Amino acid sequence: MSILINKKTKVITQGITGKFGHFHTEQCLAYGSSFVGGVTPGKGGQETLNLPVFDTVHEAKKVLEIDATVIFVPAPFAADAILEAEDAKIPLIVCITEGIPIKDMLEVSRVMRESKTSRLIGPNCPGVITPGECKIGIMPGYIHKKGSIGIVSRSGTLTYEAVWQTTQLGLGQSSCVGIGGDPLNGTNFIDVLELFQNDPQTEAILLIGEIGGNAEEEAASWIKKHCTKPVAGFVAGLTAPPGRRMGHAGAIISGGKGTATEKIRELKKAGVHIADTPADMGLAVQKALQQSR
Amino acid sequence: MNIHEFQAKQLLQDYGVPIPRFTTISHHHRGDIKRAIADLGSSEAVVKIQVHAGGRGKAGGVKFAKNPKEIEEVASSLLGMKMVNNQTGPEGVVANTVMLSVPVDIAKEYYISVVIDRDHAIPILLASPEGGMEIEEIAHKFPEKILKIPITMDGRVRSYHLVQLAKFMGWKDEAAKEGMKLASRLAKAFMKLDASLIEINPLVLDKGGKLWALDAKISVDDNALYRQPEVAAMYDPSQYSASEVAAKEFDLAYIALDGNIGCMVNGAGLAMATMDIIKHFGGKPANFLDVGGGASKEKVAEGFRIILSDPKVQAIFVNIFGGIMNCATLAEGIIAAVRDMSLQVPLVVRMEGTNVDEGKRLLRESGLAVITADSLSDGAKKAVATLKK
Repeated sequence: MSILINKKTKVITQGITGKFGHFHTEQCLAYGSSFVGGVTPGKGGQETLNLPVFDTVHEAKKVLEIDATVIFVPAPFAADAILEAEDAKIPLIVCITEGIPIKDMLEVSRVMRESKTSRLIGPNCPGVITPGECKIGIMPGYIHKKGSIGIVSRSGTLTYEAVWQTTQLGLGQSSCVGIGGDPLNGTNFIDVLELFQNDPQTEAILLIGEIGGNAEEEAASWIKKHCTKPVAGFVAGLTAPPGRRMGHAGAIISGGKGTATEKIRELKKAGVHIADTPADMGLAVQKALQQSR
Repeated sequence: MNIHEFQAKQLLQDYGVPIPRFTTISHHHRGDIKRAIADLGSSEAVVKIQVHAGGRGKAGGVKFAKNPKEIEEVASSLLGMKMVNNQTGPEGVVANTVMLSVPVDIAKEYYISVVIDRDHAIPILLASPEGGMEIEEIAHKFPEKILKIPITMDGRVRSYHLVQLAKFMGWKDEAAKEGMKLASRLAKAFMKLDASLIEINPLVLDKGGKLWALDAKISVDDNALYRQPEVAAMYDPSQYSASEVAAKEFDLAYIALDGNIGCMVNGAGLAMATMDIIKHFGGKPANFLDVGGGASKEKVAEGFRIILSDPKVQAIFVNIFGGIMNCATLAEGIIAAVRDMSLQVPLVVRMEGTNVDEGKRLLRESGLAVITADSLSDGAKKAVATLKK
């Protein structure tokens, strides 16, 4: 078992003929993911990477069985690409694109909240991977190892760091989900925590947060109430100065809210094992796992 | 992106928001002061420095002048003023423009703003009858005196919400009508301009019962600037450090800090985590620098130049976990930059991820004095250790 995706998941790429879309589809295929086609408006009927290209997601869906789509469409058009996928009732929509205007995301958020057919991961995220089975995203495949740790994170490369540490400790991962660094995203910590809680393969959870917003605080209160599995965590930005946006649109300490200290305090209160440094994320989840046994 | 008060007022005026008559004088046209005073059509004026930071009043950047001669003197003295406070950092910001504004006889101050409520994914209007202080302070002192009302996706405030607003603010008769109109216009401007914040603080009622936006602050979503050319043209590089301007040009996320270990990292989360771990091992990061996902050789080299332009930097720690980014590209960028700039400080490089073996080989064979690290903690420890020698 795993969450969201497995070896049976059939995937398409929106923006498959673009540079990034093409390159990463190729990488995902090399990892063993089952990609069945792609979409680029105006390029319908062509073939790339031995996959059929369609003008719209609807057209792709008429011909193919599709469980998931990954979006590499440029930011000005990415919100529409998400809405198109939702309209075509694709169950899992993974949006890698960074830099979508927040106004566009307001509409996307509203649609996704009411959607009965689809779930959005991202935008501005590395994607989702179930090691050894399916990779939908831009993460380097080789750092992963099939195992027991569920990883959820707001960051991209910091997630790779956590993955690498758990791989080197021999723990491996059940699934890893990057929920993205934007203030508005489709899937939040709690959604993923709930999936990990119900996944038999996941023995412990590693949650990686950062400054800004209050997603970590909400996750902490959910963990306290509902989570029976051991959880470890790390929050980046302990040394970030207030009022400055640290790269991610969502990462800013404003009006004294959203500090790492506050988030760490809430997570600790919920029984989460906090890694003292980002180099100890693997060790923290290992310790959490050992203590629970 | 932040813009100046006078720019925000220009934009809001187009939406029909009542703004006291104003004009500006720039540093380069000091001779224009007399013309500006004539333009203003008032013998009294409030003179305000135009900088991208709050706290101008406390810093002495806002002054009242009661006759044309005084306006001229005050404007001259404020032009070129350097303001330093906790919002500007130690380098401060320079006022290259001052704004002259017709004074208003204030009867009462209010607060009104439009922001995005992340939790509910909707734009909201925030209003309070307690103006003249920061919203955080209002929230702390009088939490019951803040009204939050939702705005529709097309930038409308529903009519019953407007009635609720007028009652909450205590507006009657003409002021109620004006206030409701003003709130609607702010909401419309917020959506049309792709703003992330519009704040009027204070909004004032004058002794004649008329409402005015006395101050105005607008931040626009950086990701939407491509479709807001009028706002994009308002970018004022003089309000940022030379390093920040250079970083912006190359699409690097850079923030100067006060330490001495320069950091170059890919990804915002890992960049923050790298700062944190340096501090944990007793060092002090000189900056936050995220070179981004698909960084090119040139971008990496520019990142190096920016880090080294900070004279405080005594060591550099490069921490890259390649995903989209290829470690070989990084290595090429480092080699090019180091050769180009004859690096005088120790350089610690830790890399992992896509094409890492090739990256390591390139660095090894370059013959450069690079200290390599096997892990995040190893790299941070080595970077801190170089300063202790």
